[in-house]
Amino acid sequence: MAITGREAFLARVSKALKKSVEVPEPDNATHLGLTDHDVGSLAAEVRIRMTEEADLLLELLAKSASAAGWKVSRVASPEDAADVVAKICSDAGTTNVLRSDQDIFDSTPVDAALEAVGITPGVATVGQVSKDIEGLKSAAFAAEVGITGVDYAIAETGTVVLHPREGLSRLVSLAPGRHIAILNRGDVLPSLDDLFTLERHDYNSHQIEGSMNLISGPSRTGDIGATIVDGIHGPFEVHLVIVQ
Amino acid sequence: MLPTTERFKKGAAETLADPVIQESMEAVYNGFHTNRQSAGAATENWDDQRDRGRAIKEHTISNLDYYLNMLADKVDANGGNVFFAADSQSASEYILKLAHERDVKTVIKSKSMVSEEMSLAHEMEAVGIEAVETDLGEYIIQLAGEAPYHIIAPAIHKSQDQVAEMFEEATGVNPGGTPEELTTTARGMLRETFQRADMSVTGVNFAVAESGSIVLVTNEGNGRMCTSIPRVHVAVMGMEKIVPSMQDLGMMLRILIRSATGQRISSYVTMVNGPRRDDEEDGPEEFHLVIVDNGRMRLLADEKLREALYCIRCGACLNACPVYRKVGGHSYGWVYPGPIGAVVSPVLSGLKRGKDLPFASSLCGACKEACPVRIDIPNMLLHLRNEIAEGPIESRASGRIERLVWKAWRFGNMKSSRFRRGGKLVNLFGRLVTHGGMFKRLPPPLSGWTRSRDIPITASSPFRDRFKKRRLRVDD
Repeated sequence: MAITGREAFLARVSKALKKSVEVPEPDNATHLGLTDHDVGSLAAEVRIRMTEEADLLLELLAKSASAAGWKVSRVASPEDAADVVAKICSDAGTTNVLRSDQDIFDSTPVDAALEAVGITPGVATVGQVSKDIEGLKSAAFAAEVGITGVDYAIAETGTVVLHPREGLSRLVSLAPGRHIAILNRGDVLPSLDDLFTLERHDYNSHQIEGSMNLISGPSRTGDIGATIVDGIHGPFEVHLVIVQ
Repeated sequence: MLPTTERFKKGAAETLADPVIQESMEAVYNGFHTNRQSAGAATENWDDQRDRGRAIKEHTISNLDYYLNMLADKVDANGGNVFFAADSQSASEYILKLAHERDVKTVIKSKSMVSEEMSLAHEMEAVGIEAVETDLGEYIIQLAGEAPYHIIAPAIHKSQDQVAEMFEEATGVNPGGTPEELTTTARGMLRETFQRADMSVTGVNFAVAESGSIVLVTNEGNGRMCTSIPRVHVAVMGMEKIVPSMQDLGMMLRILIRSATGQRISSYVTMVNGPRRDDEEDGPEEFHLVIVDNGRMRLLADEKLREALYCIRCGACLNACPVYRKVGGHSYGWVYPGPIGAVVSPVLSGLKRGKDLPFASSLCGACKEACPVRIDIPNMLLHLRNEIAEGPIESRASGRIERLVWKAWRFGNMKSSRFRRGGKLVNLFGRLVTHGGMFKRLPPPLSGWTRSRDIPITASSPFRDRFKKRRLRVDD
């Protein structure tokens, strides 16, 4: 697109550093020196750990997610997961429910379970719930529950990772008062570092999405009376449904 | 914002005399401070991680031209625009022009200290654009017409009752008094604003050179609202906020968040890689990154001050500082308070105005100990004190009288005979004017010394005489 004022600015930086722009010596402090191939190997190792240590990582995640403020449910099958989702919605006393359009809803019969309790969920995409972005936004702010899958979870921090894209609005996990995330075994990463290894590998291999969100509990503030209150802008209640 | 750093002593005195602020600050800082310490203790290899964090910043800042160039290329390749701003004024002008061209009516802001340097919200309101701070603390101080009190907790000094009054004035409805009721009221007001915003201005916690990404850390989710709803997203960063690789982020996020609030991670971390892609459901159509110098070049050029640019704005040094905890955030008179502010504010906003700030420290070293990237703040304060003392006479901390006193002091101490006679003179004078050998009050300019303590007169028999006598006795 455009870069304005670069040359003069960088010349002043070089002058302040008393040097000219040059490629820095390889430095162990940062990971920049790793080649694409190195990053690819590291990413492959992370993928292997996700599968081989899946059960251990689920245990760790259940603990860290609870500590971060998620209400964690662990279920045996996709059908049970759908029932848990339906129960959360009916307990909330609302029929205004939105879900994303992700693969997880092909394998998890959420729509059927919701229909059984009298709820028809909206699908939060342009073209389904609304014909334009404005309508999608209004629907997301009006909804009382938003349901999504997860791209990854992180055992270290109790984090759900989402890359907004076609079928996954940025707002469906943010604007409704409650967010339910459904997670399958095998989607759990050990640490934050592993996430960024995979992310960098993706960046090296193809165009990545416009944004990534790490979600670790409800929307929170401590700005009034130094008291922690949930639900300042986004969800005040977040549920993580783990399918083992 | 316009600096009022020259008011430091006055502001500090006012805060010290305010029992309400004193009490609330002590409680909150103790909370922050304890949380940070236990988070550090609970983290494996915490000190090792701090060393690595420092090494990343050291490497990046010493190759800043290279990494800024790379960042600009990558943001451009991602479909974003980059504007390099030499000062806060040119940064403001760029953003205001953009807002005008895009016919923007409402701007939502998430916390950005650089935009405070620019008084951006104020500048926007002046040309008829509604600009709303969306971090709850920032929102409160915007309603109050004040500046942030703390980097992490901007409205730390406001009581619940004060907040309730402001909300009632804004809405015309009594919001109730508990933090929960007040938060619900703010939620209602701000969600309405989010939905009609057509532009957002956010800060940047980290920018990734290799991918042109920016990272935002929030607990409230206002950063996510700002990067999801409006048509145009403008991110503003000080030029030092870079890390080379995405793979450096894990560690930097860890040390930032643990040092700021003691959390393992904040509720939200958002990475933005440019405008939304064509097939995405929603998100801004335009992404602009404004990279700001505004005096940072002076820190970069001075090798003794360069490490101030390693700062990741966690606020840990504020909570650790015995001076900040007493004099409060507003006394420092500019965007950055506390120990790091005592270094950065005078250099960025003018050494002459801010000459009292580097002296607002007992050099106890608690800030250096608390800093996740081990910035040697005490050493930089000493360096600035030296600059001020050796600088042009009008910016010196010491006045003419003090210089005269030191001249006399030097004269009196040049020869031992003068020293002895001087000591005897002070003793004689002291015995005439004091009771019990203590000066209770000295005249200006020495009055500062005796305001909170007494000063003893010199001994009637000097040490040298006593030493001589004693040695004679021992030799006998």
